[in-house]
Amino acid sequence: MTVLDQEMIANVLRPIEAANGLPNAFYTDPDVHEAEKRVLFASTWACMGFAKDVPNKGDANPVTFLGQPLLVVRADDGKVRVFQNVCRHRGMILVDEKTTLRSTIRCPYHSWCYNFDGSLRTTPHVGGPGNNLHECIKREELGLIEVRSHIFMDTIFINLDGQAPAFEVHAATLLEQWKEFADKPLYHGGPDSSFTLEVNCNWKLAVENYCESYHLPWIHPGLNAYSRLEDHYHIMQQGQYSGQGTVVYNPKLDDTGRTFANFDALSAKWDTGAEYISFYPNVLFGVHRDHFYAIMLDPQGNGKTIERIEIYYTSPDMCRDDMADLRCKNASMWKDIFIEDIFVVEGMQRGRSASLYDGGKFSPVMDPPTHLFHEWVATRFAGK
Amino acid sequence: MIDEQRLQRDMLRAHEDDDLTVLAALYLKAAQLRESQDAIDAACFFYTHAYVYALDAGDQVVAEAARRRLKSHGRDK
Repeated sequence: MTVLDQEMIANVLRPIEAANGLPNAFYTDPDVHEAEKRVLFASTWACMGFAKDVPNKGDANPVTFLGQPLLVVRADDGKVRVFQNVCRHRGMILVDEKTTLRSTIRCPYHSWCYNFDGSLRTTPHVGGPGNNLHECIKREELGLIEVRSHIFMDTIFINLDGQAPAFEVHAATLLEQWKEFADKPLYHGGPDSSFTLEVNCNWKLAVENYCESYHLPWIHPGLNAYSRLEDHYHIMQQGQYSGQGTVVYNPKLDDTGRTFANFDALSAKWDTGAEYISFYPNVLFGVHRDHFYAIMLDPQGNGKTIERIEIYYTSPDMCRDDMADLRCKNASMWKDIFIEDIFVVEGMQRGRSASLYDGGKFSPVMDPPTHLFHEWVATRFAGK
Repeated sequence: MIDEQRLQRDMLRAHEDDDLTVLAALYLKAAQLRESQDAIDAACFFYTHAYVYALDAGDQVVAEAARRRLKSHGRDK
C-alpha cells in the first residue's frame, strides 16, 4: 500500500499563493485510486447515472460504478431506487442488461423474487420442495440492499457508506445558487442529446479542466470569439464545488433565428448568464436559460475516464422532431468543445509520469477554482 | 381429463421458448391436477413455479391464484 507523502498533501492545503497541486500519486498510483473510492466517493454523494434511463415503471438499469454492481429501478410509485445488484441468497447478479421488468426482480439462479421497492416477495422451495417458507428466512430482513440515493436535475447521486449528510444539506448552497432551475422539470433531448467520450486521463483532470476559465482563449478560440476570458467569473464553494460563469451567453445555432425556449420565470441574470461547475467529486454541470447538461465522470482506473454527457431542454416541444436539427447543432457544439479539451487532459495525465514534478504552481488569480478542488481532495485524505 | 404426458411436453416446449406466461399457466394446471389427487407437496412445487413464472410474466391473476393456494397450505405468505 502506498504511503502518501503527507508533506506534499500539506503543501496543497497552503494558501494558493504558496500551494502546490496534488502529487503525482493521485493520478498514477493504483493504491491511491482504490483509496479514493472510499475517501472521495463512497463517503459523499457521487453521481452514478441519470433517471431518464429508467423512464417507466419496472425499468431496470444495471450499472457498474467504481467496481460496484448497482441496479437502478423505477418502482410502481414512480420513485427511482438504487440497489446493490445482488441477490441476498447467494450474491448472484440479478439483472445483467437494461430491461423492463413486469412485476418482479427475479434472481436467475434460485428464483428468489423481489418487489420493485426491494422487498423480498417469495423464496421458492427455501423450506424444501413446494415450501417457500422457513423460520430462518425472515423476508422482512432480506430485501435488496438499497443504496442511499437522491435525484437532482435528473442526475442520480448515491452515498454508498450511508453516512453523509442528507443531499439537501450537503448541496444546500448549490440548491440556493441554482434555485431558479432546481425545481423545474427537465426534458432530455433524446438520442441526439446524449454522447460519450472515452478519455485517457484520471477523472480529476477532467474536473480540474472544467472548473477553470483560464484555458478558454487558448484551447477554445472559437468560444472565446464571443465569450472572452474577461467575461467570466469564478464560482467557488469550499468542500463542494467550483467552476466558472459567463455574462455573455448568447448562442446562435441557427441562421433563421430559431432558438430553444427558455425556462420559465428566470431572473434577468440568466438573460446572458450561464454557469459551469464541477460538483465534487464527479459531475460537471452547465446551466443556461434554454438548456442544461450534466457530464458524469466514470473513473476506469487511474488513467482512463468515461465522460457521459446528457443534454436537457425546457419543455417537451423542444424534444420534438422538428427541433432535432437544432438539438443536433447544440450537441455538436458542446461535443466539439469537449473534444478540444481531450489533448489537454491527456497531456496532463502523461505529464504526471514526470517523477520530479511537484504537483504544479497555481495562478493566485486564475486558478482558485482548481486549487479549491485540490484542497477538497487533500483535506479528505488528510482526514480533516 | 388432463393428459399428463402432453402437459409435460407443453412445459418443455414453453421452457425452450422461454414463454413465461404459458409456463405459468401450465404449471398452474399441473398444480391443480396434483392438488386434486391430494398430492399436496407436489402441488405446491408446481404452484411455486406457477407463482414465480407469473410474477416474472406480469400475470397478476395467475400469480395471485398460485400464491393463495400456497398460503392456504402454509407454504407461502
